[in-house]
Amino acid sequence: MVDKNEKLTFDVIVVGAGLAGAAAAVTAARGGLNVVMVERGVAPGSKNYFGGALYTHSLLDIYPDFFDRKPPLERPVTETGFWFLSKDGMVRMTVQGGKVNNNPIDAYVAQRAKFDAWWAEQARKEGVFLIPKTVVVDFIRENGKVVGVVTDRAQGEIYAPVVIICEGVNNLLTQKLGLIKHDFKGNATALAVKQLISLPAETINTRLGLRSSDEGLAISVVGDVSMGLPGLGFLYTGKDSLSLGVGVTLDALSAAQIKPYELLQRYLKHPMIAPLIAGGQLMEYGAHLIPEGGWSTMPQLYTDGAMVAGDAASMVNAMHWEGTNMAITAGKAAGETAVEAHRKGDFSARTLAAYRTRLENTFVLKDLRQYRNMSRFLHDHPEFMDVYPNFLNDALGMFFTGFGKPKKQLYSDILKSLTSRRPLVKAVGDLVAFGRTVMGI
Amino acid sequence: MFHALVSIKQVPDTTNIRIDPETNNLIRQGVPTILNPYDAHAVAAAVEWKRKLGGKVTVITMGPASAVTSLRECIEMGADRAILISDRKFAGADTWATSYVLSEVIKAVHAQEPVDLVFFGKQAIDGDTAQVGPGVAVRLDLPIVTYAVKIHEVDLQNRKVVIERKTESRNEVIRTSLPAALTCEKEIAEIPYASLPDLVYSLRYEPELWTTEGPITFDPSQLGLRGSPTTVFKTGTPEKHKGGEVIKTAELGVENAVKTALDKILAAEGMASLLGVAK
Repeated sequence: MVDKNEKLTFDVIVVGAGLAGAAAAVTAARGGLNVVMVERGVAPGSKNYFGGALYTHSLLDIYPDFFDRKPPLERPVTETGFWFLSKDGMVRMTVQGGKVNNNPIDAYVAQRAKFDAWWAEQARKEGVFLIPKTVVVDFIRENGKVVGVVTDRAQGEIYAPVVIICEGVNNLLTQKLGLIKHDFKGNATALAVKQLISLPAETINTRLGLRSSDEGLAISVVGDVSMGLPGLGFLYTGKDSLSLGVGVTLDALSAAQIKPYELLQRYLKHPMIAPLIAGGQLMEYGAHLIPEGGWSTMPQLYTDGAMVAGDAASMVNAMHWEGTNMAITAGKAAGETAVEAHRKGDFSARTLAAYRTRLENTFVLKDLRQYRNMSRFLHDHPEFMDVYPNFLNDALGMFFTGFGKPKKQLYSDILKSLTSRRPLVKAVGDLVAFGRTVMGI
Repeated sequence: MFHALVSIKQVPDTTNIRIDPETNNLIRQGVPTILNPYDAHAVAAAVEWKRKLGGKVTVITMGPASAVTSLRECIEMGADRAILISDRKFAGADTWATSYVLSEVIKAVHAQEPVDLVFFGKQAIDGDTAQVGPGVAVRLDLPIVTYAVKIHEVDLQNRKVVIERKTESRNEVIRTSLPAALTCEKEIAEIPYASLPDLVYSLRYEPELWTTEGPITFDPSQLGLRGSPTTVFKTGTPEKHKGGEVIKTAELGVENAVKTALDKILAAEGMASLLGVAK
């Protein structure tokens, strides 16, 4: 039996048993290390929330036999794209089949409470020790180096020469280490609110034009959903539920004096959305912060004895709904670096710098660098949330109803519906700015 | 040395539970299981007294293999020994058969190390019968104090215990001899926040497994469905309470409002005679 008075010592401490944490932990364990994962929730996933979909490439990267392990997934994403909302209309621009119809499908809808518990369990099966219900509040330092953590429990010290911080958006520990000098910023942090609404699978299939329950949607909703504020709505299909929500930056919410649930209610009452969820039962109402600052709010990723991954390291690409995959990829890179550090017997920043080098070679840092001006761009160009979605609705609406009218007049009217909202020169400028900032061209 | 034994149950978290409107059955699918909250407080009380007097807390439960999680939670709170009583042959037991199995196990534990107090939660939040604790006490011929809110004194020397219990109208303070049994309300003790070494110890702890194969023998005719005389012939959900009528003093004036209310009360069937007034 275990001696209660032994000093708790491991090779690696992972703070947070989410997507990044469990990926880091299992990677380190595979390298032969004795790994502990400390989770503040009752179970992994109980504090986690997203829209949302997971991306297959990252899941297979950790578990090549991922699908054989019977993960608790909802539906594959077989149709995806944008819905542009005007006040009372909608233009749908989605893609299905073709490049989306891969084997396996590229994205799967999931519920984090179920999925993350399972995800952490896979790591436990490979020897990771999980301590739940425990909050890491500080670090143990020796000669300026991190050599362990302090938890909120009595006699709560745990020792390890390397700590991987996967604490999520509320990155108090990352701040405590001085890896970032400020709390999260209101203009770079979105608050997303969502409802999970249960509906029979057949009803979902009928209403959304899905041929079976093996088909599903992941939709970015742009326009009226955010009331012109920099933000996006979303819709995801579960097996017998719909996940609908909206995320807007904190600064914009507070400046506009709009409460998040009002925004969500308005979205759900939109004439194009309400019929989709009519008769559904509210299963879950939740909210979570999303670090959308990317490159501009990214902390230093390592120091002597510690590395940071996932939301805590601002690894989110709001434009592409990427975050979970960045977390997993970064977690793996941190785990590999911990193994390397143990092999060298050196846990200084010089060795742990390899973590950053690893990430430089992946989409994580490449994309975050490319999108570094994204949140400021959206902030400076609210017309992408307002003018263009409305124009798109008007233009297509007019084009397809212009029967019996001289078409020259029709095109002039369509152009006018743009120029009355945004001068042509500015519109061209917006497009160029979009290409430059977002697409990197 | 004080030896407390706590009998616990793992239950579905009924705060999360829904009822199938068609069948009136609990939808258990996907509902997390938890340590019955009253039992958690019972364990906390047992541990509190163990720490005061020195001694040991043994926890037992009859249930499926997954109940190990709840036993570990008791170890986390400071219990020393946990026994899982699990066997397909126990399945389907009602409170009668359950109390038989538990009392046999308690007898065996008592034979190993004499037990002073047997703790139960006041009831399980899934069945809400409150029968198992008293049932076990009767089978073991122990004095039982139900709805205990406070243990005032445990006197191991003179073999006495003083326990306060809640009744509908007042609290009673009862002195009885040891060994004794009690069923606990939540007030009996606060759930402790375990130290990290206690938590880690509990996560690695493997409870003992007791089955029909041993270490003790059970009378097969008293087990499971066969040993359960209770038959559930119908289940239902109580009708939702309808909102009451509001009599507004702002509209009627206080005097008229009171008179209206009184008239309505007295008009109700049997109310006048109950209150001893003429209609």
